[in-house]
Amino acid sequence: MTATDQYRIIQSIRQLVTYAFLILLSIVMAFPLLWMVMTSVKEQREVFTSFLPRQLDFSNYERVWHAMDLPNHLGNSLYVAGINVAIVLITATLAGYAFARFQFPGRDWIFYVFLAAMMIPGQAILIPMFQYLKSLDLLNTHVGLALSMTGGAISFATFLMRAFFRTLPFELGDAGKIDGCTEWGVFWYVYLPLARPGIATVLIFQFMGVWNEFMFSTTFLISPKLKTIQPALYQVIGRYSVDYTALSAGLLLAILPILIVFLLLQKQFIKGLTAGAFKG
Amino acid sequence: MAVSTVNHKSEYLLVTQLRKYWLPALFLAPAAFFLAAFIAVPMIQAILLGFQRWNGIEPATWIGLRNYENLLQDKVFWKSMGNVVYYTVATTVFQTTIPLLIANILNSGLRGSTAFRFLYFLPVIISLTITGLLWRMIYEPNFGVLNELLRSLGLRDWTQLWLADRNLVIPCIIAVSIWQSLGFFMMIFFAAMQGIPQDLYESASIDGANVWHRFRFITVPMLRSTMTVVIVLNTIGGIRAFDQIWVMTTGGPNHASETLGTYLYRTAFGALGSSNPHLGYATAIAIVILIFSLIFSIIQIRVGQVNEVEL
Repeated sequence: MTATDQYRIIQSIRQLVTYAFLILLSIVMAFPLLWMVMTSVKEQREVFTSFLPRQLDFSNYERVWHAMDLPNHLGNSLYVAGINVAIVLITATLAGYAFARFQFPGRDWIFYVFLAAMMIPGQAILIPMFQYLKSLDLLNTHVGLALSMTGGAISFATFLMRAFFRTLPFELGDAGKIDGCTEWGVFWYVYLPLARPGIATVLIFQFMGVWNEFMFSTTFLISPKLKTIQPALYQVIGRYSVDYTALSAGLLLAILPILIVFLLLQKQFIKGLTAGAFKG
Repeated sequence: MAVSTVNHKSEYLLVTQLRKYWLPALFLAPAAFFLAAFIAVPMIQAILLGFQRWNGIEPATWIGLRNYENLLQDKVFWKSMGNVVYYTVATTVFQTTIPLLIANILNSGLRGSTAFRFLYFLPVIISLTITGLLWRMIYEPNFGVLNELLRSLGLRDWTQLWLADRNLVIPCIIAVSIWQSLGFFMMIFFAAMQGIPQDLYESASIDGANVWHRFRFITVPMLRSTMTVVIVLNTIGGIRAFDQIWVMTTGGPNHASETLGTYLYRTAFGALGSSNPHLGYATAIAIVILIFSLIFSIIQIRVGQVNEVEL
């Protein structure tokens, strides 16, 4: 056996071990999700007997869809996310543009004040926010919940949009001005169309954040009918404590919208989330 | 003639002055409004509320530092503190080392790396509430699939109460946290690894460096600032932990998995409706969370990543 043969054998053994490890890890990572999918299409008495369902039974979906009034809660989530994402996108795009493009006194200080807002944990403002919304008559309303989640989010989204606008060349704006654009025109016709990828990233990130949010949603919405999807699922576990088939189906239906966005826009999604790593 | 030039000049000055102040102000105003109304105002109220006694119904009374003094003598508060330290240290260690190692394996030019990354990333997109509920079903002692699996493998002695066992409850929650966040931190490391110049590895290989050497002496030093970010993120996440724990155990059994977040919530909104809400006291706990997470947030910004984000 030559030295190269030996090297090759060691290499392939090493590769085999690596793959074995990665596949084992894949099983561990995927098992809970697979179990959820399998359970959601089982008959109830099958849950504890086998991993694979004997036959696909989609009645659980129907059951949980109606019993939990899922369309209502999914709609509530969509509504809250819509209001919140619209506010965050508009305000943060404008502010991010100002920080990136304009020279003005105190710019850096104002930017740091903006940054400071995203270091404040939700728990710190949970109780005053509750009282505050109550005094504004916005407690137990979707608008109130959507507004309560704007603060820190705008701060982070501004930070991202500023970073994005800074990657666009300055000369474009000057060229626009020579062609007779106003400052607003430069923003609206020159930079905004170019900022689309940045806006998409912020949009996905923010939508997912609101869709998955739990603490504010469970506290600021009190009427069961108004609940968004996450607290609605949490409430239902008491009622369905052992009806794992229906519960699994419900969880899956709640994941579905995010999963679809993820599959369609994987790249933007991961970019947005990992950019979140640099958030305070 | 001269007059008109002056006029022209001052007009020009006026316009540039307006540009300098008003234009940025107009662009910043909407964001500033929401920041003031939905962060600054509640934040100031929180600081004030920490010095008050209030049940949410009767008028609040000023009690100075009493809330904080009471915290120092509160056994449940110290229990929560201990749990937070335990949870934070453990998650930070595991959620830094494991993703780093896996990112390193996936970065070695392996075929199918994209598929593995996709799979490991999946739990990241699911909410903490849903994963919490899912794992609660898995850990359930009588019907849960984990004990079921152990029984069917003939390991009946290994079955546990899991979330209902006061010694196992935190490790169980930590395991869920690792499972959920693995893909996220792996992606951060993976992205950073893509930025390491390939010729560093090549010249090291020529010098006879093996896989471990290359990892230890090139990858790890090159990723120092990324590692700091990951460690700080994990620390902040640990200090603030709430959703998943609340959904799985509400801090139980008997405070065994109580964190500052769950204790705050229970004190403010009386989970079981058993006692009066102590809003001032709960806010004092919130301020403790705020102070600890601020310390680590400042470290994070000092690490100097703020201007390096690219989209």
